Amino acid sequence: MTTPILEIRNLHARIEDREILKGVNLIIPPGEVHAVMGRNGSGKSTLSYVLAGKEDYEITDGEVLLDGENLLDMEPHERAAAGLFLAFQYPIEIPGVATMTFLKAAINSQRKARGEGELSTPDFMRAVKTAGTELNIDTDMLKRPLNVGFSGGEKKRAEVLQMALLQPKMCILDETDSGLDIDALQVVSKGVNALRNGNRSMLVITHYQRLLNHIVPDVVHVFSDGRIVESGDKDLALQLEAKGYADFDGAAA
Amino acid sequence: MALTVPVRLGTAENTLIEQLNSVGAAAEAERITVAGLPTRRVESYHYTDLKMLLKAIPPLAQAANEASAPALRIAGAYQLMIANGVVQAASTAPAGVIVGKTAGGVLSTRDDVLVHLNGALAKESLTLTLENSVDPVIQIDRRIEGEAAHAADSVKIFVADGASAVILETFSGSDAAHVGNHGTYMALGKNAVVTHVTVDLSSRSAAHFASNEYHLADGAKLRTLVIHAGAGLSRTQVFPRYEGAGAHGDITGLNLVSDGQHADITMDALHAVPGTTSQPLFKSIARGRGKSVVQGKLVVARDAQKTDAKFMHQGLMLSDEAEILSKPELEIYADDVVCGHGSTCGKLDEDSMFYLESRGIPTAEAETMLVRGFLEELVDPIEDEALAEALHGIIDGWLLAGK
Ligand SMILES: Nc1ncnc2c1ncn2[C@@H]1O[C@H](COP(=O)(O)OP(=O)(O)O)[C@@H](O)[C@H]1O
Ligand SMILES: [Mg+2]
Repeated sequence: MTTPILEIRNLHARIEDREILKGVNLIIPPGEVHAVMGRNGSGKSTLSYVLAGKEDYEITDGEVLLDGENLLDMEPHERAAAGLFLAFQYPIEIPGVATMTFLKAAINSQRKARGEGELSTPDFMRAVKTAGTELNIDTDMLKRPLNVGFSGGEKKRAEVLQMALLQPKMCILDETDSGLDIDALQVVSKGVNALRNGNRSMLVITHYQRLLNHIVPDVVHVFSDGRIVESGDKDLALQLEAKGYADFDGAAA
Repeated sequence: MALTVPVRLGTAENTLIEQLNSVGAAAEAERITVAGLPTRRVESYHYTDLKMLLKAIPPLAQAANEASAPALRIAGAYQLMIANGVVQAASTAPAGVIVGKTAGGVLSTRDDVLVHLNGALAKESLTLTLENSVDPVIQIDRRIEGEAAHAADSVKIFVADGASAVILETFSGSDAAHVGNHGTYMALGKNAVVTHVTVDLSSRSAAHFASNEYHLADGAKLRTLVIHAGAGLSRTQVFPRYEGAGAHGDITGLNLVSDGQHADITMDALHAVPGTTSQPLFKSIARGRGKSVVQGKLVVARDAQKTDAKFMHQGLMLSDEAEILSKPELEIYADDVVCGHGSTCGKLDEDSMFYLESRGIPTAEAETMLVRGFLEELVDPIEDEALAEALHGIIDGWLLAGK
């Protein structure tokens, strides 16, 4: 059997005294797109932050492997270099740091960590231009400080641009559809779909079915109270939309 | 005659009194004899208690025999030098620049010990007259060389109506426990546009004091940037006076302090006539047990209506033991003005750090990016590229030194 890109076993995590993740189990084989759906407050963003290595959380049990490597032992920047990418639900605004400068630093840091040489400026510019065109991002936007004053749509497009440039193995998209109108949703989904291939896996977090019409998942998981309570194919998302989450809450008990 | 309790004078004060008497400045000597150096009880020195901080004063400076390497080289700059208070011979000046010197100091009298000392001890002043716009950056390299010395020097700059210039002053010298006292007087003619950057790069064992006085005529535009990145103890006093309608000042500054350092930027601005504006913006970054002080006073005269001025200070604490102190002061005698102040102080934002790290940028590099981002507002408006790059170099050097 091929090594899964992401394997989460019995993951428990708490913030301060409150347990938020209560035994998450999830296996994503190479090339598959899995959706996690759950109501607000069920712990979806917590899962994404714990995977990316945010330090506010205490992991009390469980294990996470990224392409067979122990993810929880790594620093956030090491996880990124190992191929994990989190598209934030709320991308952070960073005044005074030009988006272009940031992109170059991110790409070259990851290359360096993997023992590859730095990208030359012309190669970098070419890569940015190509990826940007797909997402309607022009160089003027990239000269602006990172995410500062970006509209909701611009922020999400910028996240997908980073994903396209960093070429991760494992993409986690946290509510990438939130704050997007239908046109922006199409641009962003198209960008994400363009990155789907046989080796790259994705975990698409959302609480609306809408996004999954555009990014069609291989597997849908229902998330409730800190764990996965039901899994199925893409029709499960439609079922959820029709019946609401209430029917699935019992399964968590 | 009122009876006053005599102050107990310390070693530094006794030396100052001797030195002042030796140059015939009896009145200044008397002032120190009576009042001593300012303590925290003196409002404008509340956070920079000179009596406590200045333990000793080295002997008055002698002429310099050797010069250390320039602290900062700006490609294409026109260089002038003052060493140990003595104005050095200059190379041929760019068109429209007249270089000269004059006896004594140049600062206007005001009730301030550093200004008094500069007036009494500066033997001569470099004078610069800018008759028209000057292209190259003018760099005034002010240094104190040799054994530990108490040196005072002074510069007077006239900028003609409509002229523009970028003037950089650097302060540096040998690695001894100098006390430097520097004065700069600048008069900007009507619609003159000046950028004035002063950077302290003297050694950690030195004390650096500077007082910069500006007079702005109608429509004059001034941008200043003070950077403290050298001396163990530093204080730069900035005295802008908006004396012509439409005059505008972007008065900015940056204290970079590490363990054991104390840096102070004190602005005292006067909006003297109607219709003048200013945007004072200061930043502090402190690590270890470093201490940064920023004081900003805005005085608006009775008939200076329509003054628009806001003092801002932003502090960034890189350690728990660091201290960042800020004191705004508004003294407003006119009624139709927009004046204010604001201050923020915090650590590097954790969410921003996590965002950068989650993209593969290692912790130290992410911190550097955020600090640079924090300071970009100060360096970005400096249009001369070579100068801006040199300033980035100073900031990066400070960050890399890590202590
Ligand atoms: N920093 C925090 N401190 C305390 N509780 C938190 C914190 N962040 C999230 N939570 C709580 O954890 C739960 C899960 O939040 P979250 O992971 O954001 O859910 P979702 O993304 O599914 O909406 C919520 O009840 C939320 O209030
Ligand atoms: Mg969420």
